[in-house]
Amino acid sequence: MNAWIIAIVTVIVAPFIGGFLAGIDRRITARLQGRFGPPILQPFYDFFKLLGKSKIAASRLQLMWIYAYLVLMITALLFLVLRLDILLMMFILGFAGVCFALGGFSSKSPYSHLGANRELMQMLAYEPVLLLLALGVYAQNGSFLISQIYASPTPLISRLWPIFIALLVILTIKLRKSPFDLATSHHAHQELIKGIMTEYSGPYYALIELTEWYEIVLLLGIVSLFVANPLWVGIVIALAAYLLELFVDNVTARMTVGWMVRFVWAVGITLCILNLIWFWVFAAIKGVS
Amino acid sequence: MLPYNWMMAVAILLPVVAAVLVYIIRQYHARGVIVILAAIALIVNSILFLLHGKDTFSPANAQMWDMVVTVLDYLILLFYIYVGISLKNWLVLIFALTQIIPLAWFEFGMGGRAALANVSPTFVVDHLAIVMCLVISIVGSLICVFAIRYMYDHEHHLHLEKSRASRFLFWMVLFLGAMNGLVFANNLIYLYFFWEVTTLICFQLIAHDLTKEAIDNAARALWMNSIGGTALIIAMVILFAKGAPLSLDGILSGGVASAVLLLPVALLCFTGMIKAAQLPFQSWLLGAMVAPTPVSALLHSSTMVKAGVYLVLRLAPAYAGTRLSIMIALVGAFTFMAASGLAISQTTGKRVLAYSTIANLGLIIACAGINTPLAITAAILLIIFHAVSKGLLFLCAGTIEHIIWSREIEDMEGLAAKAPLVTVIFAIGVLSMFLPPFGMLLGKWMALESASTIPLAAWLFVIASAATIVFWAKWLGRFLQVLPKLGAKIESLSLSYTVPLWLLVLGIFGVGIGVASVYTGLVQNAVADVVTSGQALAVQGWGLTVNGYSAVSSTANFAVGNYPVWPLFIVFAIAVLIPFIFVAIKPGELRPVYLCGEQAGGTDTDEWYSTADVKTKVQLGGYYFQGVLGEAALNPWTYTLSIVLMVIMFAVALLAMGGAL
Amino acid sequence: MGIIATSRLKSPWIMHFDNSSCNGCDIEVLACLTPLYDIERFGIVNMGNPKHTDVLVVTGPVNRRTARVLKNLYDQIADPKMVIAVGTCSISGGVFHNCYNVLGGVDKVIPVDVYIPGCAARPEAIIDGVVMALQKLAKLQGVAL
Repeated sequence: MNAWIIAIVTVIVAPFIGGFLAGIDRRITARLQGRFGPPILQPFYDFFKLLGKSKIAASRLQLMWIYAYLVLMITALLFLVLRLDILLMMFILGFAGVCFALGGFSSKSPYSHLGANRELMQMLAYEPVLLLLALGVYAQNGSFLISQIYASPTPLISRLWPIFIALLVILTIKLRKSPFDLATSHHAHQELIKGIMTEYSGPYYALIELTEWYEIVLLLGIVSLFVANPLWVGIVIALAAYLLELFVDNVTARMTVGWMVRFVWAVGITLCILNLIWFWVFAAIKGVS
Repeated sequence: MLPYNWMMAVAILLPVVAAVLVYIIRQYHARGVIVILAAIALIVNSILFLLHGKDTFSPANAQMWDMVVTVLDYLILLFYIYVGISLKNWLVLIFALTQIIPLAWFEFGMGGRAALANVSPTFVVDHLAIVMCLVISIVGSLICVFAIRYMYDHEHHLHLEKSRASRFLFWMVLFLGAMNGLVFANNLIYLYFFWEVTTLICFQLIAHDLTKEAIDNAARALWMNSIGGTALIIAMVILFAKGAPLSLDGILSGGVASAVLLLPVALLCFTGMIKAAQLPFQSWLLGAMVAPTPVSALLHSSTMVKAGVYLVLRLAPAYAGTRLSIMIALVGAFTFMAASGLAISQTTGKRVLAYSTIANLGLIIACAGINTPLAITAAILLIIFHAVSKGLLFLCAGTIEHIIWSREIEDMEGLAAKAPLVTVIFAIGVLSMFLPPFGMLLGKWMALESASTIPLAAWLFVIASAATIVFWAKWLGRFLQVLPKLGAKIESLSLSYTVPLWLLVLGIFGVGIGVASVYTGLVQNAVADVVTSGQALAVQGWGLTVNGYSAVSSTANFAVGNYPVWPLFIVFAIAVLIPFIFVAIKPGELRPVYLCGEQAGGTDTDEWYSTADVKTKVQLGGYYFQGVLGEAALNPWTYTLSIVLMVIMFAVALLAMGGAL
Repeated sequence: MGIIATSRLKSPWIMHFDNSSCNGCDIEVLACLTPLYDIERFGIVNMGNPKHTDVLVVTGPVNRRTARVLKNLYDQIADPKMVIAVGTCSISGGVFHNCYNVLGGVDKVIPVDVYIPGCAARPEAIIDGVVMALQKLAKLQGVAL
């Protein structure tokens, strides 16, 4: 019964946290650019305004994928708060991304087609790191269950800090921040309009915003796992990581897709694998002695 | 219930009889009825095997059957020699000779024949074999039913003057019998015989259209699989020379094979890997794509390649804990990664499917190499799920080919509007290949959770998983690119197409939702036939729980992983099925896509005004990365690395043998 | 409806379309986005895509070639939508009004809610015009701005 209450509370509360964080994002970004910026509640105004717009769409198919994107993102978040299998959570997160990309493909729009292809390239870049993160959790805890991360006395970051750095790189892609805001764009309309989101409007666009709020909470939740005991330290680290992403967003320029894949594979995957090799060697040494 | 010898006869000989009848009767409807009746008989029979449970069988007139097998063996090999000479294909000739000469020498020169005749029982039907038999009989039969109408349309399209469909169906139905024989065979010479029959049928089916490309590719399949046959004979010779039993249960009886016997085990696995088209032997399976699509469906899902992984899996206890096991895992994992990467660059739908098959077979072989109870469970589950999903995808590919008369992915743009029914079925097939809650992902998840003993394999899995997402999603995406229109007309298809398709869709959901029952009723026993130690997976409430088995978690008492099956299916229903059915849109709500305001007209066109107001069609193209991930760019690397891995695999076995001597 | 009506006033996303302007007004529109004027204070974001737009900001006179494009873009905007004509040319054709290819002001093609005169219109005037459009919307919805 307890699990049901946690699940329901998460589903209700998470978008408020996510929307609030998005508002802080816009405010801080504005300050970094020497502007005053919108009110903190601006994302909520945008959301409700979008809900009130009339429905228009470019095909029926694209709408179903957006519901799937939302539902799967919530499911992945529930896996986190109910402390289930982290590897499976990554696969569900992957499914959510696939649905979003398929939604982008579901109309004959050159801009959303381009965005969807880039979304897949982004998945090619970040998916291995997320899965390797799960393997790292197993290497340290001997279990893929998130509940074991909370039960373990040693925080993940003490031995998985290279994977943590890789996760920060991934976070930039997942939060759609520069230099990796390639599939959709907040500022570069000239190049790809709104990329994968170009053909969504009104309430359907609001659903994407809602999903992104859930995603922010989920991603910061994954970051907070690295110091799960005590949890408040993890949350502080997650918020610090979020601020770092905002800073990176504002001081870097957009890069190309090929550069992103090469960079993430060269830095992210290498860091993860070095981390795991270290575990392996460590276990081998312990086994010998 | 049928007597056991009748069940064996139905499994192996009934397809032969049905095949001959199909060949003789050239009337379309009568032929179809025979295929359908044979399919029903095989399916019922396979379920009888399941109910009967584990058993062994030796035919009553052993001498007569031995004679039949021997004669047919040599006839097949002589036919290969004939093929080699008549096609002037020296590789076929050489590898036919490398089989027939050692075989004759072994059987009649060394006295292997007497040893082979003494092997008892001839057939061992354990639970792993029953799983294979179910896969072959159910999925394979459905594909044969699909082929009835497919060949009619195929020949109609080619404007053939004289129908060759009888010949085609003859080999298709015969294939099922040969595969049943192969998975039941315990005596190595019977195994070899059925192995050669599948190679022969494969050759005949690939060459069916008799174009130059078809014959060339068929010859390639023949000589590559002949290398496997040669390895099998050499394995027999070594086993005989070392005084070991010439049967599978004999090899497996003593648990891990002694160091001396590791080489024949490696050779047998090598045979399996060639049949499973592992790198660097993938080209025969890719070439097999020229054949009519039911052939591809049969080769990829339930027969031929599955024989390869079956043999590797069957031998798992013999190499458990050895370095050979690690090498087998690495060969499989490398194939999984390389084939997934190469699949991204493929522009032909069937070649994507082929690379995906090679990749998944690599995953299964890697699981066999990882060789923990969990990995073996994953491998067997993957065999089942892959057969159903890939069978469905190939049948979809065939149906699509008969709607648009093309195999190119770029030509499939907007099929969701032209052929909504096939698109839905294809989408289910694609989603079931790599996403939760379906079985293939469950298998991959278990493989990753079990791969901690061989970290390198796990890293290759991870990279392969990412590539898998890309090539499936971008292909499915091409189907969905439609104009903003409502009310697509559902295409009308022959029942011979739709019944197998829907049954396989039902199968995907059936084995997916009921995976707990499939596991406890079927796979659990099959795993116990391969590895004796430990229960890796427990059915707990509405999910599956991975028990701690590794060194890390044996100290603490907690689960390694948890897979909630039913909740995930409910999520899938809420996320995909319910929106698919209920999301409604009014015609007035449709708008053309954003083309900078230059679209020429409303929702009924995809044209826009280009320079000087010329109406131009919007053209979209997928990403293929031929320069980075294309065969020309990657093959030098993949061939080199995979050959190195194979060489190390044999070196490990030889070193073990040398050390023992 | 209360929260949605309020939100509409607080989140007008604009799209800027240049018919055949001399680019004077365009530069002034872009100036509104700079830190000096910072129209994001009012929740205004330049979206560059009709499907995400609430307010269409048009500069320059309509000519025979852009009339079709302007109409197409307007049709792709979801309701409720506002149109602001920025600069003298977009109101009447301005200095171009007798050219052989010029049709005249924006209201020849699509309905216009707010006209902002000026050659070029000052950023302050443009911001004032957007606020005026919001007031009009508020009046229509019967809520206070």
